[in-house]
Amino acid sequence: MIKRRTILGLMASSLLPLNARAAFTGAASLDAEIKQGKLPDISGRLPRNPRVVNLGAKKLAAGQHGGVVRMLIGGQRDIRLMPINSYSRLVGYDEQLNLHADILESFDAQDDRIFTFKLREGHKWSSGSPLTSEDFRYAWEDVMNNRDLHRGGIPVELRVNGKGPRFEMVDALTVRYSWEEPNPDFLAQLASPTPLLIAMPSAYLKQFHPKYQSAEELARLIKQYRVEDWDDLHKLMSRTVRPENPDLPTLDPWYNTTKPPSGQFIFKRNAYFHRVDENGLQLPYIDQMTLDVSSPDLIAAKAGSGESDLQMANVDFSDYTFLKAAEKRFPLTVDLWKRTQGSRVALIPNLNCKDDVWRKVFQDVRVRRALSLGINRQEINKAVFFGLAHEAGNSVLPDSPLFKREYEQAWASHDVDQANRLLDEAGLANRNDDGLRLLPDGRVAKIIIESAGESTFESDVLELITDHWLKIGIAIFTRVSQREIFRKRVIGGETVMGIWMGLDNGVPTADMSPKELAPTFDDQLQWPVWGLHYLSGGTDGHPPDLPEAIELLELMKKWKTAGTYEQREAIWHSMLEIFTSQVFTIGIVNQSLQPLVKSSKLQNIPENGLFGYDPTSYLGVYMPDTFWYKEDQA
Amino acid sequence: MIRYILWRVTVMIPTLVMISMLVFTIINLPPGDYFESYVAEMRAIGETADMQEIDELRAKYGFDKPLPIRYLHWVGGMMVGDFGYSFEYRLPVSDVVGDRLWLTILVSVVTIIVTWLLAFPIGIYSATHQYSWGDYGLTLFGLIGLAVPNFVLALVLMYFANVWFGTSIGHLMDQRYLNQPMSWEKFKSILEHLWIPVIIIGTAGTAGMVRRLRANLLDELRKQYVMTARAKGLHPFKVLIKYPLRMSLNFFISDIGSILPQIISGAEITAVVLSLETTGPMLIKALQTQDMYLAGSFLMFLALLTVVGMLISDIALALFDPRIRLYGGRTR
Repeated sequence: MIKRRTILGLMASSLLPLNARAAFTGAASLDAEIKQGKLPDISGRLPRNPRVVNLGAKKLAAGQHGGVVRMLIGGQRDIRLMPINSYSRLVGYDEQLNLHADILESFDAQDDRIFTFKLREGHKWSSGSPLTSEDFRYAWEDVMNNRDLHRGGIPVELRVNGKGPRFEMVDALTVRYSWEEPNPDFLAQLASPTPLLIAMPSAYLKQFHPKYQSAEELARLIKQYRVEDWDDLHKLMSRTVRPENPDLPTLDPWYNTTKPPSGQFIFKRNAYFHRVDENGLQLPYIDQMTLDVSSPDLIAAKAGSGESDLQMANVDFSDYTFLKAAEKRFPLTVDLWKRTQGSRVALIPNLNCKDDVWRKVFQDVRVRRALSLGINRQEINKAVFFGLAHEAGNSVLPDSPLFKREYEQAWASHDVDQANRLLDEAGLANRNDDGLRLLPDGRVAKIIIESAGESTFESDVLELITDHWLKIGIAIFTRVSQREIFRKRVIGGETVMGIWMGLDNGVPTADMSPKELAPTFDDQLQWPVWGLHYLSGGTDGHPPDLPEAIELLELMKKWKTAGTYEQREAIWHSMLEIFTSQVFTIGIVNQSLQPLVKSSKLQNIPENGLFGYDPTSYLGVYMPDTFWYKEDQA
Repeated sequence: MIRYILWRVTVMIPTLVMISMLVFTIINLPPGDYFESYVAEMRAIGETADMQEIDELRAKYGFDKPLPIRYLHWVGGMMVGDFGYSFEYRLPVSDVVGDRLWLTILVSVVTIIVTWLLAFPIGIYSATHQYSWGDYGLTLFGLIGLAVPNFVLALVLMYFANVWFGTSIGHLMDQRYLNQPMSWEKFKSILEHLWIPVIIIGTAGTAGMVRRLRANLLDELRKQYVMTARAKGLHPFKVLIKYPLRMSLNFFISDIGSILPQIISGAEITAVVLSLETTGPMLIKALQTQDMYLAGSFLMFLALLTVVGMLISDIALALFDPRIRLYGGRTR
């Protein structure tokens, strides 16, 4: 795998012959600014060696510049979708989830320990200032290692066994990070939807840093932006997750031009963007992205009345028929993409709940298996998802190279007899007059299932499961609350069972971290307390006391130091094997469908894509900078 | 009279203090704080929230201090015009509210005027033509307006406005005019959208007002001075306007008190459904995400307006109806 990575990294830069520099074409919309002398012409804006995206090779059409894409967002904070969808990364995934150099000209990973990054000569930020290794040094020395900005020291993601990397500036365009032990997660971190920031626009940000700015001027800026101190100022001005600062230079295809608060955010083309198509046209094709803030509940209605040119956020499968009907009235096309979550809905027993009896019961694998066997997934799929989802436990999807049928089908059939037998064996054999099972302490086995109340699917599914589980002698009641309160109750151990989604990343490769399968986060509803213990580095929560959970955690740690792809793959398989056979989460259906509304004129958007945050970054891997309007087709 | 006003003003101060304590307690009641929901939100979208950053934010905004100190800090800030910091928007509260205030006032003022323009003639007609077909018809119409939930009406109107007139769904103007300076086109776009919330919020208010005006007026119409005036040959319309109508307006004047806060808060649910750029949806969102300074400042502002509005209507009533003025300070 080391070899594969290295080769891919080099390949990206050398695959295509360099066109003559004169052959590059910028967008006509920038001509006025060039005439006024505000912008250099195209040769001064592109790196010497731009990333050539060969659309023909991807069976896509090369396009033309121009047009505005309108999108709707459910709140101001959702401008965070732009950097995710834009997906310009140092290294990034393609549709097959292979890593490629993107902003980098090439990268070299030695033993997953020593990473050498080579930048493109002449690559510039959207402000026109050059991107050099100084920007990496600034992020490393003046930001991550600055105790005011990062009180806890460098980010956890950069540490291997608690130790950070050694950083070197090899030359103006080359940087190197080296660890003593392998850090296989590093490149994946850089390619993630919200990447680890190891390069920052230093030329701009230095004005907010006391090392480079006079105290008086800094005090003036602090006052002007009404913040408390300089680290607040720096954080405010350098925030890329939500690109709220119009002055912050970026490497994305579009940059924000609107200062919040606002009902509409306009993202304009980055004249210095580093990608070109095979004809030498500088990307992105689209001149402007307009994000209109609307109430989340209105978005489907607005999208169905032609007010959005590209919409996935805040539209759900339940809006599909309405949206499809709108195709007749407006120049829209509605496609169905596949959601990448490991399970669209999953029941999650809280193995850390406060109730001693339920905790013991749930920690018995026979009970979890029985509960899973007791669900009639086919009926749920037919009734709630029109039979269009796929009946399976919470596992990886067939699109993942790690997929095995036995994982997703582990204990996912409907077998009432076996379920009853398992529950009898687990010590729940006694029943009351109504046929409900009794817990070891004599209480009736009634489960209150809590939900965050955000989707109507959940209540529909629970309604069906009520009947299924009565046949195995278990009664359920639903309690709808609100996301924050729901989460708080789960962590506090007050919730016995919750309903939520399955694995976030249902299409992993062995190179992606298997942390979701082990207790590593306090928002994992099946074992929040164990997760918190890992997350806090042992200062909070409790270590897992269930052998299988301990084993998952051990395997996860082993993955982090595994040196080869084969080792990582083997670890993934053993973890999936444990996770699915132990039924820690009871998945119901996966691969449910997600409508995507687009203007009929918009080209290069695949009809069937994968819809998910991690690893595909929503639209990111499909490269929205290559979308374009075909004007003749009205 | 002056003593009465002075007395009323002095009473306002402890009232506002009590309200501020209540508001502060209530917004602190739900478990957790903004930072907690912030982390939950970040996790839900897959972002990693740095626990350290959260702790720092907490300390910076004094969330690690006991409640009474935070309360004093908050109230003290408001005294000097600092309404605190909105965590959700990462901006000072005053910046966040900004333009929304003007649009809210526009919607509310137009709604109030429309309500009056509709309610007065209808109320008078209903009272003078009691038990006629017209009375029944208008009453039925008004009661339907009152009974149909505003949000249902909002959805229905929104749909038809879109299908029949091509008006964009929701909002107070077409999206392209957002953030643009006022122009004739923008103004037209606002007018095109404005009638929907005005009708929705107005119908409920109209029905209530019609019923109260009708009832009050009916009482007066049966009094002897009305009979006398009529018997002496005064034109019936003049009789009506000059005496009984004026006498039945007490309720209207006391309503003025609630108009001020109404102008700001508008009808929140309608505004949420229609996704209007008013302050209502912002207040609800702030309460949901526990953006406590934003929510708290809103609530305090509404409370202040209510108290001031009540003062105004009390003074107006006292001027208007001598029977009322005598109570208050003097009897005590």
